[in-house]
Amino acid sequence: MRDILHLAQGALRAHRLRSFLSMLGIAIGVAAVILLTSIGEGTRVYMVSQFTQFGTNILAVNPGKSKTIGIPGVLGGTTRKLTIDDAEALARVPGIETVVPVVMGLARVEAGERGRSVSVLGATPDLPTLWRFGARQGSFWPRGDPRRGAPLAVLGPKLARELFGERSPLGAFVRIAGARFRVVGVMQPKGQMMGFDIDDVAYVPVASAMDLFNQDELFEIDLIYSSARDAARVEAEVRRVLAVRHGGTEDFTVTSQEAMLDVFGKVMDVVTMAVGAIAGISLLVGATGILTMMWIAVGERTSEIGLVRALGATRGQVQALFLAEAAALATLGGLAGIGIGLGLGAALRFFVPGLPVETPVRFVVAGLATSVLTGLVSGVAPARRAARLDPIEALRAE
Amino acid sequence: MSLRDLFGFAARALRGHRLRTGLSLLGVAIGVAAVVTLTALGEGARLYVIGQFASVGTNLLIVVPGRTETTGGMPGMGGVPNDLTLEDARAVLRGVPEIDKAAPIVMGTETVAFGERRRQVALAGGTHEMLEVRRLGIASGRFLPPLEWDRSSPVAVLGQKSAAELFPGRDPVGQIIRVGDWRMRVIGVLAPRGQQLGVDMDDVVIVPVTTAMKMLNRRSLFRLLLQVRTHADLDRAKERVVRLIAERHGEEDVTGITQDAVLGAFTSILRALTLALAGIASVSLAVAGVGIMNVMLVSVSERTREIGLLKALGAGQRQILLAFLAEAVLLSTTGGLLGLLVGWLAVRLLVAVYPALPATPPPWAVVAAFSLSVAVGALFGVLPARRATRLDPVAALSGR
Amino acid sequence: MIRLEGLSRTFDVGGEPVHALVDVSEAIAAGEHLAIMGPSGSGKSTLLHILGCLDRPDRGAYELLGRDVARLDEAELSLVRRHTIGFVFQFFHLVPRLTALENVELPMVFAGIPAGERRERAMGRLRDVGLEPRASHRPDQLSGGERQRVAMARATVLDPKLLLADEPTGNLDTTSGRHVLEILERMNASGLTLIVVTHDPAVARRARRILVLKDGRVVHRGDGAHIHEAVEILSAAENGT
Repeated sequence: MRDILHLAQGALRAHRLRSFLSMLGIAIGVAAVILLTSIGEGTRVYMVSQFTQFGTNILAVNPGKSKTIGIPGVLGGTTRKLTIDDAEALARVPGIETVVPVVMGLARVEAGERGRSVSVLGATPDLPTLWRFGARQGSFWPRGDPRRGAPLAVLGPKLARELFGERSPLGAFVRIAGARFRVVGVMQPKGQMMGFDIDDVAYVPVASAMDLFNQDELFEIDLIYSSARDAARVEAEVRRVLAVRHGGTEDFTVTSQEAMLDVFGKVMDVVTMAVGAIAGISLLVGATGILTMMWIAVGERTSEIGLVRALGATRGQVQALFLAEAAALATLGGLAGIGIGLGLGAALRFFVPGLPVETPVRFVVAGLATSVLTGLVSGVAPARRAARLDPIEALRAE
Repeated sequence: MSLRDLFGFAARALRGHRLRTGLSLLGVAIGVAAVVTLTALGEGARLYVIGQFASVGTNLLIVVPGRTETTGGMPGMGGVPNDLTLEDARAVLRGVPEIDKAAPIVMGTETVAFGERRRQVALAGGTHEMLEVRRLGIASGRFLPPLEWDRSSPVAVLGQKSAAELFPGRDPVGQIIRVGDWRMRVIGVLAPRGQQLGVDMDDVVIVPVTTAMKMLNRRSLFRLLLQVRTHADLDRAKERVVRLIAERHGEEDVTGITQDAVLGAFTSILRALTLALAGIASVSLAVAGVGIMNVMLVSVSERTREIGLLKALGAGQRQILLAFLAEAVLLSTTGGLLGLLVGWLAVRLLVAVYPALPATPPPWAVVAAFSLSVAVGALFGVLPARRATRLDPVAALSGR
Repeated sequence: MIRLEGLSRTFDVGGEPVHALVDVSEAIAAGEHLAIMGPSGSGKSTLLHILGCLDRPDRGAYELLGRDVARLDEAELSLVRRHTIGFVFQFFHLVPRLTALENVELPMVFAGIPAGERRERAMGRLRDVGLEPRASHRPDQLSGGERQRVAMARATVLDPKLLLADEPTGNLDTTSGRHVLEILERMNASGLTLIVVTHDPAVARRARRILVLKDGRVVHRGDGAHIHEAVEILSAAENGT
């Protein structure tokens, strides 16, 4: 085996430019595949991290069935709405740790001369537990009966800055949709999630929000369950309890964070593979190149093959030799391609920090394996041609 | 040396080694076919989206309650402090001359039942104008009658699928159904429509807007759809409508969305995506070029003696350069043509299997792909051609 | 028509200088039939290559039809090779994938002569060498003698003034060889200057003038009638004396 590789190496060295160009073809293909799948993987990792920063053992209940419209809850409830009573009933489901009833809307938040139209979230002081981040200054309002509102608000850091500049807003008053609220806290900065600026939001007690928006229904009920093992059981129980309360119909949607991540992960995998496949077309073309060059090589080295057979080499050995050459070409090209792909990825990470690029080890291994396979497959036809040459004919032809 | 002689010479040389020539041009063909197919897919997606939008009408202005200055924020979900009311809708119709028709909309979800059959569907509260503004069609019976918007009436129109599921094999018109706790008489069934503005219009029940507001216990409209008289007036109409409602509400708390803007955003994204995919596929053309260069180099070294002879016969440097360059260009161009054919066939096949997607290779992509294939041959043929010219005729003739 | 002054050409072979031509001077008149003889390594092929503008001398001057060849650039040289000189090789050097007719047309393709005229002239030349019926055959379908005749038709299709032949009968049997020489002489009789490199006295004797080279220098000038003198000098040269 080692001898065959050695011979193959010698043959490749003899025609340097030619071998280099054949390898280059494969290298370009592999580099493209590695680079693009890295970007795909990077995107997936980035998005998953965006989601999971909020915690994973989460169930979200929205009114309406998601099959009627893609985003649950947008159409609002039926005649049987999602209420705070529903939320409290769900809190009693075994395995549920925390329940946060949520109301959402848009309103103008004003302080003195300044004002800003932003999202206003009605929730309870358990929101920081749900989201795994809370107030950096001050705190949320005290826990109490969620049915009773209070004129207290927590501001996102960007909103606070827009309204109050560098001053601390704690203790100051803001007007939300005309109603007066006292600021009791400022949230930790979190930045953008999926393009949405979370720092530009105001938080008030859920009942107060319902007053503001003239609603008597919740937008969403968020539930944290204690252990991932119980996930399926807890979800089933939540559905049952709520359906009973809604007259026996499941006129709501329960979404589990895990299930969503799972689906998202699968979608990204498909996208990454599709992009990889498109880049892989170059690999196919590269394989064609190797096939062509090896075929020519067999034609050129006819007398050499005849000689080697006359000296006692078997058909199998001749075949193995040419297969090894093709595989060596493709593998070396693949290694170069991996290097180029990783290098370009690093360069991208440096020059374009916004672009997520991740290259997991399994991609590199797959890239290498594909190269070797490509070489072997493109080498089969030429190798068989070489093996089938009749030694006497081969020696005679000059 | 005439062009015909040049390419005749090149064609002869290529025909001498069929397999080699075939494999080399196969590489170019694959690349070009990929580019053509991908751009066709992208173009199909773009045309599909445009078609979807056109199905709702391009003079459409959508008023959504809520306004946000937050980056990435979108109005239309959740509550608003000031209701968007039917009075607002009437005021807009009166006060903004560019508006031709107004269709107020309320939305929710509800269970619809007939006998033993039940189904959860989207519940839409609308008016007679909804038929025209949303470009809906009636399959049987009729749409909501032109009532006063404030009047409630126990009539309902079903979407195609809802009707089929609740009344298999029967005509639902005239039948009484239960929408939640309410009894309504079916007066019509919609023609098949599919997804429109995010809602599946085949699985829906439409009732008069005031009835829906009572059912859902809501005072605010979900959306106000406005048909603008002429396309040119769209932006001005949007400004006026938003301002008028702002005056009525005391603050600017609605957002106007024109189909134009949304469509524009969509198509830019699709175009960029298509370009990116085509760009990726084009990398394979570079690989094909490398392959051509390789094969041409071999060809030059094999024909050393011939090149020496040509020089001895008096062929000039430039003529030899052109001869080999022509070979490379002929090779890549033939591959390009083959690729165009294969790509076109692939697209036809795709359209046959998925008629919903109007995939078609855009002319700019076809020209670009073909030009690229010609360029690849020219670019990657230079090195071998220059090598050919630099051979010393004496050495060449003795086969060194 | 040709004047050579102090022509020298040295090659570098594996680090060692090889003096292929040393101070060769000669005048050749138009219409002459000259034979150049010499042992292997005497520089006769090198001299022919320089005469054919395929190689340049390191020192000395080559004047062809009054022009100093050294002053010409590559483009002008290729014009000279095309229109002034015709070359016939020992190994024929026909393009294997072209027919006999197409091989003869080849120089005209570079000269930009249109296809119809090309065909006519090529057929005419093939007729002159007696190969008209074989016009559409490929080289591998022709005998050695026929191939050389095609080569000669090709060499003269653009009416050159000078015809150079490097061992033209070296690869042919006696009969074909004689046939080829007859054609060459016929061409010479119509005004073509003919220079033949050969080691075969039977070929050289048919020339009017003979030059014998040894180690890059001219060691004998004679004529075809006194071929035996030349042969003596030649064998002496070959035996190293």
